[in-house]
Amino acid sequence: MSHTVLICDDAIFMRTMLSDILQQAGFDVVGEAETGAQAVNKYRDLRPDLVTMDIVMPDMGGIDAVREITRDDPTAKVLMCSAMGQQALVVEAIQAGAKDFVVKPFQPSRVLEAVQRVLG
Amino acid sequence: MDSARYRELFLTEARDHLVSINQSLIALEQSPPSTVRGGESVNELFRAVHTVKGMSAVMGYDSVAALSHAMESLLARVRAGEQPLEPAHLGLLFDAADALESAIETSSVQADAGPASALDVTSLVDRLQGRSGSASSATPLSTLPTVRRRPPPGSGGVVVSVSLEPGTILPGARAQLVVARARTLGAVLGASPDEVALLADDFDGQLALRVATEADDATIARTIQGAGSVATVAIARDPDRSDACENAPDAASDPSSTRLADLPPGADRSLLADASERFEAAWGNEVLKAPLQRYVRIDLRRLDHLMSLVGELMIVRGSLAQRASAHADPMLDDVVTEASRLVGALQDGVLGARMVPVWQVFDRFPRVVRDAARTLGKDVEFVVEGREIELDRSLLEQVADPLVHLLRNAVDHGIEPPAARVASGKPPTGRLTLSASRERSAVVIRVADDGRGVDRDRVLRTAQAQGVVDAEREALDDDEILRVISRAGFSTADRVTDLSGRGVGIDAVLSRIRALGGTVELRTGPGTGTSFSLRLPVTLAVIPALMARVGDEAYALPLTHVTETLQLTRGLVRTVRGRDVIVIRGEVLPLLHLRDVVGCARGDAATSHVVLLRVADRTAGLVVDQLLGREEIVVKPFDAVRGAATCFNGATIQGDGSAALILEVSSLL
Repeated sequence: MSHTVLICDDAIFMRTMLSDILQQAGFDVVGEAETGAQAVNKYRDLRPDLVTMDIVMPDMGGIDAVREITRDDPTAKVLMCSAMGQQALVVEAIQAGAKDFVVKPFQPSRVLEAVQRVLG
Repeated sequence: MDSARYRELFLTEARDHLVSINQSLIALEQSPPSTVRGGESVNELFRAVHTVKGMSAVMGYDSVAALSHAMESLLARVRAGEQPLEPAHLGLLFDAADALESAIETSSVQADAGPASALDVTSLVDRLQGRSGSASSATPLSTLPTVRRRPPPGSGGVVVSVSLEPGTILPGARAQLVVARARTLGAVLGASPDEVALLADDFDGQLALRVATEADDATIARTIQGAGSVATVAIARDPDRSDACENAPDAASDPSSTRLADLPPGADRSLLADASERFEAAWGNEVLKAPLQRYVRIDLRRLDHLMSLVGELMIVRGSLAQRASAHADPMLDDVVTEASRLVGALQDGVLGARMVPVWQVFDRFPRVVRDAARTLGKDVEFVVEGREIELDRSLLEQVADPLVHLLRNAVDHGIEPPAARVASGKPPTGRLTLSASRERSAVVIRVADDGRGVDRDRVLRTAQAQGVVDAEREALDDDEILRVISRAGFSTADRVTDLSGRGVGIDAVLSRIRALGGTVELRTGPGTGTSFSLRLPVTLAVIPALMARVGDEAYALPLTHVTETLQLTRGLVRTVRGRDVIVIRGEVLPLLHLRDVVGCARGDAATSHVVLLRVADRTAGLVVDQLLGREEIVVKPFDAVRGAATCFNGATIQGDGSAALILEVSSLL
């Protein structure tokens, strides 16, 4: 049975790209969210095995979303997606509960490696 | 990677973000970052630029990525309060936004813009960075690590020395993950360098942790490796406490080591208080921009396809009704009626799906007006009303260019320079209003300025000189002025301004609006201002029409322009100055023959009918052979053959499958 993934990014462009990478690798993308608030709600409903989370989103950023998700479910596995030059934000995300990070532009191999690390 | 598909997605999103960027920049001109509104604008601006950066990096559009990255760095510092946003910075950001727009448009056409534009971007990038200090922090590790950290102070536990791979991206963040992984093994008693130093630019990818754990070496190594990008893990266990105390360097003399005992994961924020507070301040004050609504993003082509299908369905419905009526079967009639009702409802639904609020196009305009005002030295307050009014999507797109022209025209010719306004007792700031409103089955979009008004005398004299208006006339009313100035080639401007062109504009506006089935109205007063009102059908695709026959062909007359129909009797027709007219209730109206219009020989039918058509204030009668009844017709665009009559702006397929041309009434009258 394949792992389920929730993809959170406010750009449909990025969501599509990530979704393609993950689906081709055999993951089951069960949901997408455009804002941190949506991410928190969808996590609660879907309980995916993995979440990819963009840091910069309107209506609750990725970091707050990770914090809330992890507070509700300490076993949550969140992979942060960050653009270059956002180290302090990534660190904050990790402290808020993110398990790993990838940097845009994505290389599919790196994304999948990070996903493997997160899923354990 | 399917480039074509991603390219379209990229373009759509990037363009949306550019609108947002321009809006935020304009807002920042009025409200500095220290205000609530200004602060929100900086955040929105940052987010939009950040997203464009991410997407363009993925697509490999390097100049777009570099430019947005430089803008982002500047904005990050402004947002963190490290740097004020001076007018010079704002001007630079406006320039950068324009460059970003060209870079986006050209990059998506070719695989990144060529060397020439890359140069332009570089100079902008330099200027942006010049204003924002150093370039991005957290450069990846470049060389093989050679220095080993001293072990962290304190005692007990296992000393785990980790070096990250060369070329690790965001090494500080990766090291953070190492620490997090170490915590799963046991309490982290100390770390060197400490968590703040990890984020510094000179972090070399070496760190040492003191972890209280019972796990064996292999488990420790494997757990640490799980953080990713880890090159080596070395484990040392203190032989005994006394040695460790003697050999450990003095904590006070090593500023980069932490004195803190372990912190459980949740309490880390205190270590990075500065950074956390800054970001809390930045993100915590975000205000919801619009209420959460359920929107779905659809590929426009799917919608167009649905529209087409509905259009065909409506034509089929017509055929069905025709055939059913020939059968005189009441059961069949019931079913057909029900089907017709459902098709009608489906049509309404699909048409509704194509409706978009006008702000989707109107939001581009503040930037247009601002730039025009700056270039021309005018002071303009731009007001937009009725942003939520909805219009068919393609209608709205088509009306964008005419509106830009009218807006620029108003700034150029309508609104006077501040000094001139003050001299005539007006406030120095001119007011330009763009409004949208609903009137029954039409949407009215109005561009109104409070400027000098059209120079009626000048228009009259120029028109007389061109032979367009009788020499005896002394004045023209508003409708006549519009007709005159919209003639191709008419212009009273004695200098060509870059923006409005030489008399090319208004006639293009009129023909575009007419082609969409709409009308234009001008109202102007000396010294009080000018307004152009564009009246458009709410939807383009289906209109009620009166079908009429001439010869063997059927034609469609849009019902909005039909006021009356009569049977034509000889007594009604007169001739005045060689032209046919019709007298209705004492009023004399020009009479046209549709046969003449379409090039048919005039028949001598025993009876024919007159359709009274009205556009704005002009009414005329149109003689047709036979009236075929009222119908809802699906408008299909068509490209007229060169040289063909220009009085048709569309076609429709009738119930029997034959085509009927749709008359563009305003061109007749």
